[in-house]
Amino acid sequence: MRPVTDAHIEVRAVAKQWLTRDHPVPALEAVSLDVAPQEFLTVLGPSGCGKSTLLSIIGGLASPDTGEVRIAGRAVTGPDPRQMAMVFQDPGLFPWRTALENVEFGLELQGVSASSRRERARALLEPVGLRGFENRYPRELSGGMKQRVAIARALALDAPILLMDEPFGALDEQTRLLMGEWLLGIWARTRKTVVFVTHSLQEAILLSQRIVVMTARPGRIKASFEVALATPRDLDAPAAATLRHALWDAIRDESRRALDGDR
Amino acid sequence: MRRIVLARIAVLAGLLGGWELWASRRDPLLYVPPSRVWPALGRVLGLDAYPTLVTHFGVTALEVIVAYVLAVGLGLALGFALGLPRHVGEIYEPILSALYAIPSVVWYPSLMLFFGLGPASKIAFGVLLGFFPVVLAVLAGIRSVDPHLLTVARGFGAGPGTCFVKVVLPAITATLLAGLRAGLALCVVGVLVGEILGARRGLGYLINYAYGLFRTADYVALALLALVLVLVIDGAAAWAEGRARRWTEGAA
Repeated sequence: MRPVTDAHIEVRAVAKQWLTRDHPVPALEAVSLDVAPQEFLTVLGPSGCGKSTLLSIIGGLASPDTGEVRIAGRAVTGPDPRQMAMVFQDPGLFPWRTALENVEFGLELQGVSASSRRERARALLEPVGLRGFENRYPRELSGGMKQRVAIARALALDAPILLMDEPFGALDEQTRLLMGEWLLGIWARTRKTVVFVTHSLQEAILLSQRIVVMTARPGRIKASFEVALATPRDLDAPAAATLRHALWDAIRDESRRALDGDR
Repeated sequence: MRRIVLARIAVLAGLLGGWELWASRRDPLLYVPPSRVWPALGRVLGLDAYPTLVTHFGVTALEVIVAYVLAVGLGLALGFALGLPRHVGEIYEPILSALYAIPSVVWYPSLMLFFGLGPASKIAFGVLLGFFPVVLAVLAGIRSVDPHLLTVARGFGAGPGTCFVKVVLPAITATLLAGLRAGLALCVVGVLVGEILGARRGLGYLINYAYGLFRTADYVALALLALVLVLVIDGAAAWAEGRARRWTEGAA
């Protein structure tokens, strides 16, 4: 029933404007992109370049003005929890639910019975290192723990595609690195198609199989880099340093334009 | 804790003692010392002075219940109708707040004209007073719902109905409960004031009756009875609020 076999994402000439109070702001301009099944793709771009907008459109939370997104050959018209699960920078845990109940949320919406969703949620919290925290409320958890609950909540859907919008952006550097390693472990086990949005070069190099760089607003795809580094990755290896320079060259002017544009 | 309780008792005793000293030297028709309230309370509760006290009490209680049910129903309906569509609540909220700020007693004469001297006008007044805190609580609650949580829920495939049940309702529970409790207190006030201003039955009517006949001690005793009614109702509401709060946090 679940179309695991082809989690191929096609983004075709997607453009989007946001309407602000006085004038429309073009967020995306003719973005086209292909993500292969089981690929870990990172979208790298300066802040405000529309990468979050792109992810929302892929996830069906926003609709493009022109162009379309197809998943496994079918056009996306809205969120489809059987195909895609989303994680945001703000974990967005429901404060009135315990960690366990948060993880159960998606299963609850799908009508999974209380006992079996409880069992599945428990099984997901254990590998994310939250055993013993099942009955804590979000306010009792650290930032990293909250984000792990949010990721467990997304994984609970067992969807072939995972869309992640700067999921570790609000965490401190060390936590961020550990969470990255942890996410790679999950990806290696589950082999989901991951689209990961970030503005961190380091994070992109550590995690991805492929990195696309976006331009400043309005966002377009500027360049694409295959990451052929061995895992576990070492940021100090010469190949990683070369890639880092190439990425920085590609993104530097865009970051500058974003910075000037903000003023 | 124990000290505070002792201090409270001391303050209460001091107040009663001062009241006794002050009132016993003045016109007994106007000033009632506690030593005369006590026997009056006995007469009132023993149904000697007012054999129909229970009926009047029942009338008031019934009016409060009906008024509260209507206030909550109308308040919730209007609150969600105005609060859920985007921006509509922002349009109406200042108007509602302004209306709420007008001393509600000014509306009472017109309510008497519309609904007559019977229970209907008291219920209407109770509804009028109790309705505002409920509406305003719903609006404030909905405004405070984190839009990101709604986005997350939508991402999990939740439609508008599911978003309402799984996100909006649990998110506004605390605010809503506080509004429901304030509404209940104001409903009681509305009904009692309505009865005092003009009625043929009810606790408020009895208070006004005793006062009109210069049965000042009875009047104070009946007022104390009304106070107990208010305290009991508010205590019950506080208890229910605490229970509901724990329940929504625990189960959700």
